[in-house]
Amino acid sequence: MKGNEALAEAAILAGCDGYFGYPITPQSEIMEYLMAEQPMHRTGMVVLQAESEIASINMVYGGAGAGKRVMTSSSSPGISLMQEGISYLAGAELPCVIVNVVRGGPGLGTIQPAQSDYFQSVKGGGHGDYKMITLAPFSVQEMADFVALGFDLAFKYRIPVMILSDGAIGQMMEKVVLPVQRPRWTEQEIREMSPWATVGRTKDRHNNIITSLNLKSDVQEEHNRQLQAKYKTIIENEVRYEESYCEDAEVILIAYGTSARICQKAVDIARHQGIKLGLLRPISLFPFPEAALIKYAEKVKGFLSVEMSAGQMVEDIRLVVEGKTKVAHYGRMGGIVPTTDEIIENVKNLIN
Amino acid sequence: MSEQTNPVLTFKDFQSDQEVRWCPGCDDYIILRAMLKALPEMGRKKEDFVFVSGIGCSSRFPYYVGTYGIHGIHGRAAAIATGVKLANPELSVWVMTGDGDAMAIGGNHFIHLIRRNINIKIVMFNNEIYGLTKGQFSPTSLIGQKTYTSPYGNIQPPFNPGQLTIGSSGKYFARVPGNDPKMMEELFVKAEKFKGTASIEVLQNCVIFNDGAFEEITNKETESENQIRIEHGKKMIFGKNKDKGLILKGFKLEVVNIGENGITEDDILVHDAHEADPTLHLMLVRLQNPVVMGEIRRIEETSYDEVYVERMESVAKKSPFKNLDEMFFSGDTYVVE
Repeated sequence: MKGNEALAEAAILAGCDGYFGYPITPQSEIMEYLMAEQPMHRTGMVVLQAESEIASINMVYGGAGAGKRVMTSSSSPGISLMQEGISYLAGAELPCVIVNVVRGGPGLGTIQPAQSDYFQSVKGGGHGDYKMITLAPFSVQEMADFVALGFDLAFKYRIPVMILSDGAIGQMMEKVVLPVQRPRWTEQEIREMSPWATVGRTKDRHNNIITSLNLKSDVQEEHNRQLQAKYKTIIENEVRYEESYCEDAEVILIAYGTSARICQKAVDIARHQGIKLGLLRPISLFPFPEAALIKYAEKVKGFLSVEMSAGQMVEDIRLVVEGKTKVAHYGRMGGIVPTTDEIIENVKNLIN
Repeated sequence: MSEQTNPVLTFKDFQSDQEVRWCPGCDDYIILRAMLKALPEMGRKKEDFVFVSGIGCSSRFPYYVGTYGIHGIHGRAAAIATGVKLANPELSVWVMTGDGDAMAIGGNHFIHLIRRNINIKIVMFNNEIYGLTKGQFSPTSLIGQKTYTSPYGNIQPPFNPGQLTIGSSGKYFARVPGNDPKMMEELFVKAEKFKGTASIEVLQNCVIFNDGAFEEITNKETESENQIRIEHGKKMIFGKNKDKGLILKGFKLEVVNIGENGITEDDILVHDAHEADPTLHLMLVRLQNPVVMGEIRRIEETSYDEVYVERMESVAKKSPFKNLDEMFFSGDTYVVE
């Protein structure tokens, strides 16, 4: 299956209640797959083509407020449009899944793959002190797996979850093992598990108002403190990464998504050439795998961050490493992917 | 600004050096050609024109005209054009847009541009489909229309762009078939002379994703029966033999055959595009068979930019200061040493 199609099918299988989207290359297949599949007849899931990404994210806001598993997907320019809604979702502590199949920017940019939305996802593209759990799939399998995982994390922490993919992962075809069908939650289940949800005020429920507004400064500060405490818990419990050949490595590549796929190959080639190269692949970009980086910072000659951007994740690596080892960046932009030769050349430069 | 001193320009003066990249057979080529022929007829300098677009196939237009232009943000062309026009009210500003760009994501800016009645011309290429993202339904797609995001038929009711324009207190609306460059050329020239927001809908065939959407209306064999071309001050007559016309029966328009049931040409409605009451214009934009082409509504009122410039000048006249320095050095001043 295509990455985008696998993600769409996985959404149905994850017991998703509603998908709201707007066409944009390179992710239109997600909504097209859902419209053709008619999940209304399989699980009762709603699929709606909105009039804009702003409408999509606000439909998600409404659905999430009702305690439903709802999601949207878009590509970079469309995700920029959603930032206001994302900030409000984070402020109102609502769970949802947002998929960004990244293309090159800024502006209209290109429809080719890129990884230049890292800052927007992990630093908060919208306003205010907030975080989104950000998962970075590097295969079609992970495109499928991260939907259910995303919903689980979103509801566990009442937080928006971003699946940060890219045009290459979205468009490429691979074999995929799909999960079994999860049932959608019943109204009764939502009532029991989400006391905050606006599911109709019966006698046994408070009058829930979904809001991110606190006009009193002390109340807002307390709300911010609670959010920060939640993010700390997430940092302590939800770090996900994968490492290969790191134990004896002289240089470790840090890469996610499509770049990590290329880096896997670069590690193979370098090992054949006798270069002790390893790969550490962050799967969660927030929370960032800080402990693993700190562990290896003392052992290696340097880290090389490989990204399809001008260098965004490299800033977080430098913050974590605090000068304990050399940190370099190699990236391509505009929809161009780095080659293994270029990566190995940069590794050699780092060693010398 | 004296129009007499403007140099005589030709089609070639407005051609750009860019390779035109639309699908072969697309009506967009016809619209481009009509515009390139219309521009020299407007009697203005080449540097007076700006073409602003959003996103979509239509939005490639600014590349293909040898004037200045902005390829802007999806849906925002109307807002960007507003900025351009108010920064320099002398310019002739054209928004080149589509049904997705103007009716969906840009619906908000579209209605507010029209509400303000800024002297900007909107040419909306309506193909009832999203072309650039390859075939999803748009806000003008018909109920039941099969697209990649409505494989079993669209269930969202469409906007009528003319109705939306008039509903936004629009002063100008015209419709033109996408296969008639001559009518388009004439309309573009007429619209340019209009002081206010002109909303022009082009029924544009998308050969790839919605081919034949307007076939019955625009086909040379059937067009004279299925469309009516109206002009201000003239009787609303159509048909191959000019033997059909529109009359008002109760609160509805009705098609009648001249010479039958005692109907004569005298009974046929005369089109008044300048009537401020939009009732009849609304009936005309909504008419399905025949589909109405031409300037349906054209109400000359003061445009926003005229009022804006006048207001700036009148406020400036009342001001005790002629410039910033005068203001800074007025009243109590002292020198820091």
